[in-house]
Amino acid sequence: MAKFNLFSEESNKSPLARFWRKFKSNHPALVGLWVFIAFVLLATTAPFLAPYGVNQQHSDALLIPPSWHDLGDVRFILGTDDLGRDVLSRLMNGATYTFGLSVIAALITTVIGVLVGTFAGISRGLRSSFLNHLLDITLSIPSLLLAIIIIAILGPGLMNTVWAIILALLPQFIHSVRNLIVEELNKDYITAFKLDGASNWHVLSRGIFPNIYEHIVVIFTMALSTAILDIAALGFLKLGAQPPTTEWGAILAENLGLIYLAPWTVGLPGVLLFLAVLSTNLVGDGLRQVLKERKAD
Amino acid sequence: MVLDYFLRRLGLLFFMMLTLSIFTFSLSYLFPGDALSNLSGISNTSFSQTSELQEKYHFNENYVSQYFAFLERISSGDWGLSFASGDNVFNHIVDLFPATLELSLYALIISVIVGVPAGIIASAYYKKWPDKLINSSTLAGYSMPVFWLALLLIMVFSLQLGWFPMSGRMGLLYEIPPDTGFILIDIALAGFPYSGMAMIDAVHHLTLPTIVLAMYPTTVLIRFTRESMLNVLEQNFIKTARAKGLNRAQLIVHHALRNALLPVIKQIGLQFSTLITLAMITEVIFSWPGVGRWLIDSIYQRDYPAIQGGLLAVSMFVILATIIAELTYTLFDPLSRNQAHGKV
Repeated sequence: MAKFNLFSEESNKSPLARFWRKFKSNHPALVGLWVFIAFVLLATTAPFLAPYGVNQQHSDALLIPPSWHDLGDVRFILGTDDLGRDVLSRLMNGATYTFGLSVIAALITTVIGVLVGTFAGISRGLRSSFLNHLLDITLSIPSLLLAIIIIAILGPGLMNTVWAIILALLPQFIHSVRNLIVEELNKDYITAFKLDGASNWHVLSRGIFPNIYEHIVVIFTMALSTAILDIAALGFLKLGAQPPTTEWGAILAENLGLIYLAPWTVGLPGVLLFLAVLSTNLVGDGLRQVLKERKAD
Repeated sequence: MVLDYFLRRLGLLFFMMLTLSIFTFSLSYLFPGDALSNLSGISNTSFSQTSELQEKYHFNENYVSQYFAFLERISSGDWGLSFASGDNVFNHIVDLFPATLELSLYALIISVIVGVPAGIIASAYYKKWPDKLINSSTLAGYSMPVFWLALLLIMVFSLQLGWFPMSGRMGLLYEIPPDTGFILIDIALAGFPYSGMAMIDAVHHLTLPTIVLAMYPTTVLIRFTRESMLNVLEQNFIKTARAKGLNRAQLIVHHALRNALLPVIKQIGLQFSTLITLAMITEVIFSWPGVGRWLIDSIYQRDYPAIQGGLLAVSMFVILATIIAELTYTLFDPLSRNQAHGKV
């Protein structure tokens, strides 16, 4: 039901401008966006920003606590691990693996997912029924389990993890895109467009995609947060990145034996992981909120 | 109408099981190494043994008859031998699965007890402080990697405070005969003099893994319940009820809850698949002797028959749980049986 807006001011800004204006007013989401951008920058420039090399060992400084601790050393702001490696540098470089690779995995998933999802959305009859049944099966298996199955076939390793995660994220993505397309196809303006003689390609490129690309961004953020969690979980289970790779989950697993001696080597990678996922979720939630509000207008 | 729906679901179940079994069968070819030893779990065979195995597994015939031989063996409980232990994989799974199931079940119960009321409260106080509090803590819990949460809890409650043990299922003092595999039921059944103490010990061991495992499904349920409630509260019949002079408590209890909790029931069932996956990680951290830890160990050891059997068992369980959840949902909600109903 349309809601009355008593003090309506004519606002004829473009959808994107209105989108940004609404998003800006949601402060947690905005903070999430800034953190997200910071992670992207860190992931691309970490080797230049980090104070020490990833595998550079300081034999005079083993297991030094973070610098705010009484025994800390200001040379190593977040302390060192049992091999005398600077935790800060390792964590900064970890952004490239955990966060950067997740973004790449989510982007590849988006490209493939949109293509296959569109195909599934516009196909009819037996082909569509077969695709949907196949999707139903894989959808009921959680992405991490699917990734573990694929790892079991491919063998452990970082690149295999990325492939496994892409394959594991795809069913959910295809399903969501397909639903979006089917929903949009049933609307009257598309029917009118078709009656005007528009081809399938025209319907998709002019009619549907301009209306759903924002939703695809939301699905992308969901895929991204799952990808980060899965990459780290597989790294933690020693099925993904192998130490000395600085993937956050792998760092955590590597330092598990130090949990009593040096809790910061276990706690800090988790904090970064948490922040990365949290910022992604904040942005995603913010976007979804805006889409919902704009629809209500 | 209902029968038609059930038959269609059963058809889907059949189709899923077919695909799953074909996939599991093809795994023995996809895995590295000799397909015959991947299937049987017997490696380094002599010539006579090899020909015997080839006979048994129909290995010289085409893939279709191999697949049917595979189905026959799976249904009779012959799942091949584990490379690591030399024991039948099926026996391993039967021994280990109850532990995983028990953990997941308790976690699910906790997440329903906490999640659904919290979601209702959040929606009842929409955009006031309880909603904001619940919402932000949900977001935090949702973004928390499960293994990190487990480690944090271990650091605080096991290492610092020493309240809870950090690994295992039971203290070494007690020997519980595994009748059902569910530890709490087993203790009650065993009926030895110190069963009260044993029970307390078992609950102590259960606490941390259950909390860790319950975290994610709880947040999902809170978000889902809140969303579903808000959707219902926007409907016109709620406005009508409010216009008639009902207060908020009446509105929520009599009108909103009944409609909002229906989709939540389905969501609860769907949580099982997530739980089983997260249980794998939780089991690894807390050394919980369940099927998840065993499966991960099998991957480390390249124990292909075990991986194959474990995947088959876990996926089969997940699919069954999903289908059962959907069926119960349809029993409660006639509208969902036919999507064309009620649409203009």
